[in-house]
Amino acid sequence: MVTGSDLVPRLTMQYEPATYRRRIAGHDVIIHCHHYNARLQRTIEGARGIDGKGILVGAAEVVFGDQLARALRPGDDEVTRWAVAELLYRHLGFGRIDLSRIGEGIVTADSSHFVEGWLAGLGETTDNVCSFTEGYLQGAVHAVTGAAVRVREVECMARGAGRCRFEVDRGERPAVAANHKEPAIASPREPGGPYAKSAHVDEQAIIDAVVGMPMIGDDAGLIPAFSVYLANMPADFYNRICIGFVEAMRGLGRDKAAIRLLVSDAEHCGMNTFRGIMHSPEWDGLIAPMVRDRADALHAIIAISNALGWGDWHVTAHTPRTLALESRYGYEAVGYREYRGLAAAPQCAMLTGVAAGVMELVYGEGTVEERYGTFSAREERCVGCGEPSCNFAVEQVE
Amino acid sequence: MHREKVPACVHPETYKYFLDRDAVISTWQRLAARWGEPRHNPSFRTMEIAAPRFTLRATVLGNPITVLRRRECTAADVAELHALLGYGE
Repeated sequence: MVTGSDLVPRLTMQYEPATYRRRIAGHDVIIHCHHYNARLQRTIEGARGIDGKGILVGAAEVVFGDQLARALRPGDDEVTRWAVAELLYRHLGFGRIDLSRIGEGIVTADSSHFVEGWLAGLGETTDNVCSFTEGYLQGAVHAVTGAAVRVREVECMARGAGRCRFEVDRGERPAVAANHKEPAIASPREPGGPYAKSAHVDEQAIIDAVVGMPMIGDDAGLIPAFSVYLANMPADFYNRICIGFVEAMRGLGRDKAAIRLLVSDAEHCGMNTFRGIMHSPEWDGLIAPMVRDRADALHAIIAISNALGWGDWHVTAHTPRTLALESRYGYEAVGYREYRGLAAAPQCAMLTGVAAGVMELVYGEGTVEERYGTFSAREERCVGCGEPSCNFAVEQVE
Repeated sequence: MHREKVPACVHPETYKYFLDRDAVISTWQRLAARWGEPRHNPSFRTMEIAAPRFTLRATVLGNPITVLRRRECTAADVAELHALLGYGE
């Protein structure tokens, strides 16, 4: 009998130092925390006039159907295939699902990144919050059996249930779409820069330490690190939900508002995530001894974000009131090109928002809400538009 | 000793407990006796004990201790922890 430990090597993370990309089971994964994931879900599902939940479920179905298929082997029996589906979910940090009764159409989960994230970041809710898991399960059923099903959450821990419970509907529905991307955008060969560096912060030591951390789910399938819950999310998932959200909102003439919302979520993420990180024992142990002033903190934050796979981005110029960053292989720009071709406008909402957020965190004063909006960021060039790099300019708002 | 609330964490009630200097070793001994020996992370120079209802994490100096509660953590769990830490409101 195949055990979970036998299957773990299939999910070994491969790290590409030149671009800081992490790859698990054939997919580049980006490490974000519960603040960002919960906010992104609330923004997309909360938009009126579009099927935001459908965007999330559909993206998870397509992406995890593909990722799980890549983790399976031709000789796997069905028991092993379901075991891989459980393991991948837990390994990536999304929680713990029990697929032992999926033949009866029932799945339960006693631990969830999205439940923890929603409750910790956004507070109590009257709605079920596991749209992501519904999509994951639909993708898993497709990868394991080839069937297209609908999965619906009927009980949710976010609403006080002891565990989340999902029902599988095997009725007629359209086939599961392929995760079609082409052509692949290669990473840049020429070095970027020149980049501004801190004399005190050893960015490579920070990156090496973060990359060396075992960023995989614990027994509960969660990754509590840096005082936040982290998860390894395929870049394709983020790209599909963000592109899908903006396109759906464009149908209502509200695509610019959609982009502003995505930037805003990332701006809050930049502040909340790194505020948590800067109060963590990991920061105190490794990074705080390197930090002598606020500029050092900013450089350390950028190093951490690179180690998390956010964008291969670096500081090109920096004052307490301004910041310029260059990203050469950000997942948003590259993903847009791969899914949609050349873009008419910059695509990196996450990096744009985070650029403002980290300046608000490092140089601002007061609560997160008091700091919000005190810096503005814009993406001046974007790989998505065919430029060699994405460039971000941040300024303090007068 | 005293504690300070830590913002933006996995649980709204996350605190750093600042131990008296001469109590650090004995406190960690009590925690280890209750929930097992701390695990060290040399890359970040941290140590932690993963208890069922919370994670206790600190730099290798052992002070302060960040207590990351799990959602299932109850008032009784916190009271037991406070007794081991020697913390009173």
